[in-house]
Parts: sequence; C-alpha cells; structure tokens
Amino acid sequence: MTRYKKEDPEITRRKFVNTALGASAAVGGLSLISTLGAANPVFRLTPAKAPPMEGDIIVHADPQKFGQPVRPDELSDKMIRAWPQGKDENGAPVVRNGDPTSILAVLRFPKGQIIEPTNLKATVDGEIVVYGDRCTHAGCNVDDGEGDILNCPCHSGQYDPKRGCKVVGGPPNHPLPQLPIKLENNQLVVTGFFLSVPYGYNTEAEWEDYIKKVEAALS
Amino acid sequence: MNQWLDERLHISRLNDKFLRKAFPVHHSFFLGEITLFSLIVLILTGILLALAYEPSNSLVVNSFDPGTADKPNLIPAAYHSALKINAMPFGDMLRRIHHWSANIMVAASVIHMMRIYFTGAFKKPRELNWWIGMMLMIFAALTAVTGYILPYDNYAYQTLGVVYAITKSVPWVGNWLAPAAFAGQFPGDGVIPRIYGYHIMLLPMILVALTGAHMLIMIKQKHTQPRYAKRLAYKKIVGVPLMTQQTPIMLLLTLLFVGIILMISAFIPVHPVEYFGPPSSTPISNIKPDWYLLWVFGALAIIPPFGFSVLGGTITAEFVGAMVFPAIPIGLMFLVPLLDRTKENQYYAENPTDHPVRLAAGVAFLTFMLALSLAGYKPDLIAAGLLTTGNANTVLWIITIASPVLLYFATIGIVRGIRALREADERESQAFAPADD
Repeated sequence: MTRYKKEDPEITRRKFVNTALGASAAVGGLSLISTLGAANPVFRLTPAKAPPMEGDIIVHADPQKFGQPVRPDELSDKMIRAWPQGKDENGAPVVRNGDPTSILAVLRFPKGQIIEPTNLKATVDGEIVVYGDRCTHAGCNVDDGEGDILNCPCHSGQYDPKRGCKVVGGPPNHPLPQLPIKLENNQLVVTGFFLSVPYGYNTEAEWEDYIKKVEAALS
Repeated sequence: MNQWLDERLHISRLNDKFLRKAFPVHHSFFLGEITLFSLIVLILTGILLALAYEPSNSLVVNSFDPGTADKPNLIPAAYHSALKINAMPFGDMLRRIHHWSANIMVAASVIHMMRIYFTGAFKKPRELNWWIGMMLMIFAALTAVTGYILPYDNYAYQTLGVVYAITKSVPWVGNWLAPAAFAGQFPGDGVIPRIYGYHIMLLPMILVALTGAHMLIMIKQKHTQPRYAKRLAYKKIVGVPLMTQQTPIMLLLTLLFVGIILMISAFIPVHPVEYFGPPSSTPISNIKPDWYLLWVFGALAIIPPFGFSVLGGTITAEFVGAMVFPAIPIGLMFLVPLLDRTKENQYYAENPTDHPVRLAAGVAFLTFMLALSLAGYKPDLIAAGLLTTGNANTVLWIITIASPVLLYFATIGIVRGIRALREADERESQAFAPADD
C-alpha cells in the first residue's frame, strides 16, 4: 500500500533468536566430530611391531618351523617366507611378526644371476637375497609365479627378484624393498632397514620419518 | 477385538492409508519384494549367527586341535567361533543361507534397478526413491564386504588387508582414516569387534532405515502403472490391494523364495573356512571379491602404475582404481533422474523401445561393467593361455571401451528394426480395417 517501506536498521527479535539457535546447534554438532578421534587407537611401537633392523636373525614363518633360523642350504629359487627375530628390552628373542609389512621372502639363485638394480653388497655373495614380501600396491603377500618371477595373487603385480624385484607387470608403483643381510654362524643376519620404501609408505620421506621414530623408540 | 483396537489406535485409518495400497500385478514388480524378503532372511539368520559368534581377534587355543601344552595351537577367537558354528547343528546351513540370501539380495536389487531404468520409472516424481535405492545398493555392498571379514580365516584376513590398503590410499586423510576405521594399524588389536559393530549394528540399521524410507515413499507416490493399466482404466490406479489380495501372493512368493534358497544352500557349500585356515602370511591364489565388486577389482588390475603428489597428498593408482574410477559409473547412475527434463509426473511404465537412446545407453553401461568384471579374471585368462602378460592390459582395455560402443549402436539398430516392423504392422492393420465395415 505504501510506496516507501521503512527499513528497520536493527534485526528482528525472531531473526536474532533463530540465528543464535542455529549457530549454537551447528557449533555443537560440529564439535561432536571430535569424538571420532576416539575411534583411532594410539599406535605403540613394541619390539614385535618394529620393522626388520640391524642385528635381527631371519627365522621361518611357516607354522611347522616357526622361529627356527633360516639356513642357507634350505634356500632355492622358490621363496621361503620368514620373519625377522630381534630382542626385547630384556634381551629375550622376539619374532617381529606384529606388523605384516615385516614379512620377508628369502631366495637363492646361482651366482651371477642376480644383477643390477639389486644392491649386490646387501646380498650374501650375490646368491642369497631378501625382500619384503608385501606387494607395494595393496599390501597382499606376494608368491612365487611362473619361472623366476614373483606374482601377487590380488591384482597380478609381478616382480623380478633377480633384478632388485623391479615391477615387470601389473599395477604396483614401486619394487619390493630389498633387505640388506650378511651370513654369520650359518644364520642370515640383517644389517639395516629396508633399502627402499616398503608397502604403506608413499614417499622416501615418510619411510625415513618412520625409521627415525623407530630408532628413537627403541634406543 | 478389531473394534476394541480401532477405538484406541484408529486401526481403520492405517488400513485405509497403507493396507489398501494397490499393487500392480506384473512379474517384473516382484523383484523389489524379493530384495526385501532376502533382507528379512538375512536379518533372521544373522541374529542366529550373532548368538554363536565371538567377535574378537585375540588368540585362543583351538579346541578342535589344541596342540601340546608347551606349544599350544593358537588361533583368533573369531576364527575359532566360525569353526564352532560349522560344527554345531545346522550351523553350516545357517552360514550358507545367510551367504546365498546376501547374493540373491544384490542380484534381485540389480535386476529391480534395471526394470526401473528401462521402463522410465525413475522419472519425476520418483527421483528421490531412485537415489535412496542407489544408497541401499552401496550400503548393501559395504555390509557384504564387512560380513566377508568376520569369519577371520586367511581369506578374510587377506581381503581385510586390501580393504585397509584402499582406505589408506585416500590422499591427505588416508593415514588417519584407515586406523580410525579399522581400530589401529592393520591388523589392529580391535579390528574384529570394530567390523562386527559395523556389520551387525551400523550398516544394518542404515539398510533398514533406508528400506523403510524407500517403501514409505513408494506407498505415498504409488507404483508406476504397468502399460495394461492404461488400456483398462486411464489415469486410474489399477492393482490388487495389499490386504488381503496382495498378501497371499507375497506369502506364496516368500515361501517359494525361501524354499529355493534352502535348496541352493543344501547343495552348494560356501566359503570353507577350514580350508583357508587361520590368518597367515601365505597368499591365496585366485583371490577374488564377490561378483558384484568384481568390476572394481578388474579396474584395479588393469590400471597402469602411477603416483603423483598434489598439495602434499599422494594420488596412487590404487586410489584411482578403487575410489575415483568406480565413482564414475556410480555417479552416472546417481545422475540418471536428472537427465530427464519433463515437468509432468510419470504415471505409466514406458516401452523401452520407445526410448532407444536410453535403452542403448543402459545396455552399453551394463556391457561396460561386465567387461570390467572380465578384466577381474586377468590372472586366469593369462594362466589359460588366452592372453599374455604383455598384451593383457591392452586387450582388456580395448574390450572395456569397444564393446559398450559396439553394443550401443547394435541396440539402436535393433530397436530401429523393431519399430519399423511395428509401424508396418500398424499400417497393415489400418489397411485391412475398412474391410470389416
């Protein structure tokens, strides 16, 4: 009716109450998201969950021979699955099978067959070589394939264990990580951490951060 | 007693509103019902299984093979209880019924969705129910995956590893998300209680709530009418009322359906947990997901390796294969109701041949999914000598891209032929019509 509407400069009571209620409901609702944090348990690094490291002995993972050291004369071009065995705080031996990424594949080839880009210094006489046995794609356990190729049954990732386990087929992005070893008293002894990024770490930096955390936690 | 109840609860209003709902009589309208019956069978068998299941992955002595005192045979409690369920009377049968009902539920819902799509039943005003149906399918698949993990044999363990890896591959948040969803770094100490909570509580609640919404909306909006209804009584709802005519039909269908499931379960065993053994680091050759997730598995198998960083997050082939790539077909399915621009409400089911582009697009889409599922058999195809490691990816990619395109044009051609025949038929009957006078 009137041509000119009078603009009230202040906000109406109804609008104020609605806005205030809405804002507090939104803030209150959003704050509930923090409870989701409780879903994520704290990760505690125990000796059993630590990655293979210097001084560990390589032992059988097979339930029949679980915990027995792997001997060089048992090895062939068919892989033997193994765990690293370290020591706990009291010096008692502990098999590091708490983290599935620590599972190892031990292989032996006639001398001269293992070539670059394998780190030959990290093998025993260029004959015995150890890799992490989790596919770098989705973390399945890799198995023997046709010929000397290793094959992942999940999405057919393929690795060549004689050439540093580089990817020769399928979706994985990285080679299987090589583990440096030496022979001592007829036992395979680990001389360091994985030489490249194992499954679960996207970049070198992430893996090195984790190694630093492990060293800090266990020293 | 009816009157007593009615005076207090106004039963007659319920009767008028829901129990008189008219159901069209046509076999293609029973697919949704079969999905519902499977859900009911799943809930009933699920309750019985939950009563005997022990949701824990802490190690216990295997009572079937205890080992020796100094070297006991320790297995996870969940796996142990799966063995015990198999040993109890009808235990294995319950597992089988649960398994086969789950498969039939997904199968029936896929065919139900095909009926909705091809007859245009998703059009205004039923877009909401299409989207709820899509959510139902996604949550049904999630429920199935979590159910697979519960027996916690080696197969379940390896599957869980892949599911964890896929969750972890989400850029930026994956490293937090995966331990939060699965109770710590794989395999977390509380992973089985967590999955159990998802499988028997969270996901079924979502499924039941969505199913309720799906059916309430369906009752409110009424079914699309089959085409015979148009001839019988134009713009009127044709069908039999739920109470009492539709009820005996549904009961008969339920009994027949349950009978078929029992027969299948009696003869076809499922997932032998004893064979796979407790979780170990021995991989399982030929590991495959259920048929309705095989297409994601196939996509993962043929996507070439890559990985790059964006704003501090790493995008991997796994993330693209298991999340981004499957989101494309699922997103397209969500968009389906938006592709139709008509403003009028849809009353009658449409003849698919009247909409050749929609029909052909649907056929092409199904072919695409089937081709990706075929790619899931890549290792088997290589082992059978049909493909080699070198050419498998190329050949499978060509099949995945080319076969939908081919079938799209083939469908359009066939529909054109059918319509030409139909028009000729009409002309002919018109030509002969005057002779009757």
